[in-house]
Amino acid sequence: MSAELKEGAERGCLRIALAGNPNAGKTSLFNALTGAHHKVGNYPGVTVEKREGSRFRRGREYRFIDLPGIYSLTAYSIDEVVARDFLLDERPDLIIDVLDSTNLERNLYLCLQFQELGIPVVGALNMSDEAEAKGIRIDEKALTAVLGLPMTKTVGTKGSGLDALLDLVDAAVETELSLAGPGRPTRSIRYGDEIEARIEPIEEAIASDPEFALRFPTRWLAVKLLEKDANAYERLAAHRDAARVEGLAKAATAWIERHHAKDAEIVVSEQRYGYIRGAARESVKIARRPDFSVTEAIDKVIMNRFLALPIFVGVLWALFQLTFSIGAYPQAWLESLFGWLSLTLQSALPQGLFRSLLVDGIIGGVGGVFSFVPLIVILFFLLSLLEDIGYMSRAAFATDKFLHAFGLHGQSIFPMILGFGCSVPAIMAARTLKSRRDRIVTILVIPFMSCGAKLPVHVLLAAAFFPRHAASVVMAIYAIGVLLSLVSSFVLKKTILRGDPTPFVMELPPYRAPTLSGLLWHVWEKTWQYMKKAGTVILASSILIWAITSFPKYSIPQAELDSLAQSYQVSHPGAGKPQLEAYLKASSAEAGLEHSAAGQIGKFIVPAFRPLGFDWKISVATITGVAAKEVIVSTMGILYRVGAEGSAESASLRQALRSDSAFSPLIAFVLMLFVLIIPPCLAALATIKAELGWAWLGFAISFMFILGWSLSMGVFQIGTLIGG
Amino acid sequence: MVVSDIKAGSAFRVLRVTLGKEVGKRLADMGFTEGAEGEVIRAGFLRGPYQVRIRGYDILLRRSEAAGIEIAPLPENVGAAK
Repeated sequence: MSAELKEGAERGCLRIALAGNPNAGKTSLFNALTGAHHKVGNYPGVTVEKREGSRFRRGREYRFIDLPGIYSLTAYSIDEVVARDFLLDERPDLIIDVLDSTNLERNLYLCLQFQELGIPVVGALNMSDEAEAKGIRIDEKALTAVLGLPMTKTVGTKGSGLDALLDLVDAAVETELSLAGPGRPTRSIRYGDEIEARIEPIEEAIASDPEFALRFPTRWLAVKLLEKDANAYERLAAHRDAARVEGLAKAATAWIERHHAKDAEIVVSEQRYGYIRGAARESVKIARRPDFSVTEAIDKVIMNRFLALPIFVGVLWALFQLTFSIGAYPQAWLESLFGWLSLTLQSALPQGLFRSLLVDGIIGGVGGVFSFVPLIVILFFLLSLLEDIGYMSRAAFATDKFLHAFGLHGQSIFPMILGFGCSVPAIMAARTLKSRRDRIVTILVIPFMSCGAKLPVHVLLAAAFFPRHAASVVMAIYAIGVLLSLVSSFVLKKTILRGDPTPFVMELPPYRAPTLSGLLWHVWEKTWQYMKKAGTVILASSILIWAITSFPKYSIPQAELDSLAQSYQVSHPGAGKPQLEAYLKASSAEAGLEHSAAGQIGKFIVPAFRPLGFDWKISVATITGVAAKEVIVSTMGILYRVGAEGSAESASLRQALRSDSAFSPLIAFVLMLFVLIIPPCLAALATIKAELGWAWLGFAISFMFILGWSLSMGVFQIGTLIGG
Repeated sequence: MVVSDIKAGSAFRVLRVTLGKEVGKRLADMGFTEGAEGEVIRAGFLRGPYQVRIRGYDILLRRSEAAGIEIAPLPENVGAAK
């Protein structure tokens, strides 16, 4: 009995880890168990999402922690490290193992390892409806008896079987509380007499340090040492008598390897699968050959060796078409809403600093960005749909050969596509890659997948300077981004990240109908990350940019105005008074801007950008893009004083840009290119830091900046030579 | 014989995994242990990833992994594949 469990039971709050294989329906079961009571956080030190939620029943709180899906406690990917460390270091009161009933053998393999942890385990035979439809009949009572582990059938997507599951949890808690002694598993797999005879002395040696034995389950550690698990050996170092335990474990390993003529870790796996076979023989009846017909019929086309890649490209194309054609409507509504808002405020408030801050700063900055939220929501919705259906592993199948040629991995494809939406979840999604080198390369090239925030910049500039070919120019920028990501991963893999190719071992789940609630939950999570950014970083930077463009106040001297008026009348004979006034107003605004803090900064940094053809305004806008790329648009809106209409779709900002003599189609294109390649926004940089650390962050920033600057410079110089 | 030697649609029995420590262990964890029976479903373009059915589920393996799993072809299915 663990002290934590006793405490938890007395408090009336149980901490329950929801664990299991990927694709076992863990998340839908979690949603069904917790309803709307969710909290999303991160595991310490990594950006793996940690979902927590509670359910109250009969005066007891069940607090569920949704662990990442894993195949084995011998950790292979970061997700698996996180799940293992959580179970070992945080010691939940109980584990609910979510098992895919249609795929019981491999799911039980993990279950056996949970049983060795000395934490009570309850099994949820999930997707039991699907299993029955496939002709797989599971006798859960017989299985419970054979494995010595309470199990019940559930259907997470329909929320059925939950009460029975919680009854089992209660019963398991009572049983555990009535037992005496430290957290030794009541029942777990036997590895055969010969191996058990060698595990026993190791367990005893581990138990000889009682403090250590309280922290780590002795049975689990003894077996993991036999499996030569590096992490188990690391943990053993804290043992008082580590050398003796290690000696025993190594001797036992050597004996097993001599005796079985194979690696000890393989022998352990074989024993587990043998044990599962025995258990299944008594409790699982397969009425007929498992039916793969629906999935197989679809895969005949989708995974056809010649069609798979073209279909993948088609899916991507459809993804963007749908996003932009559906997204255009809500985007237009939001734009008119913000336009109406700024007009209303303009007329309702007295002229002054406050109105300027509200209209030019906040609505101009945040409003222009918020109108892109519908696009992001739709893109995330479609991506989650593809993920939930099971297409993403097909995409990995289709692209692995191609990506592998460029030093990437088939599993890089999902993070990279996600990068079209937002780099932050994309960089996090790269954690499913097993090899650190693959993860680093994937994360480094994800920002080249032009994200949703860069889109407003591309749309604005393309529409302003290439009105007839705007769509093709934006597509070209996306294509350049993809090309750059492929070429740079190729170069990185040939130079600083050289190494053996990493294995490609990936489950191919059957197609499954997605549930609306699951989809909406996915979309909500990803959109919320984006909205938080818009609400905080972009709001703050909009105010900051408004401030540095408004202060210090400067009013143009009357003498200068007079001379401007004179020269205007000379160059524009016949111009009326209104034109003259408009000209003078624009000139004094521009002079004010030039003397503002932003103008000073722009003039200070402009030498660095002159080789790219940028004037000080463009330079300032680019610099503010560090906060978030959309801010470039809002900065331009503020710099060109078009206020709330300063969104990418707004005609007035487009006109203002076009009439600025510092701009040309060539410069607009160079600017798009520069924005595409230079380091991503602060949020993305923070994510890179969290995933890879400071050194790689520094590398990423300098790599992207140098590449972006020199490529843009090259295009500008060559373009100018040709006569752009 | 190894997994990548047999045609799509052929069944096999696993003899042993000859790959290095980490991948070898992962394949064993995923169910490729001695005696396990499986079937090659399809191979991708230019011997791209293999889709292999093992222990009632499907898994994708690159050729280098498929070539590290020693197997004995199951006779009846080898006949059927011809």
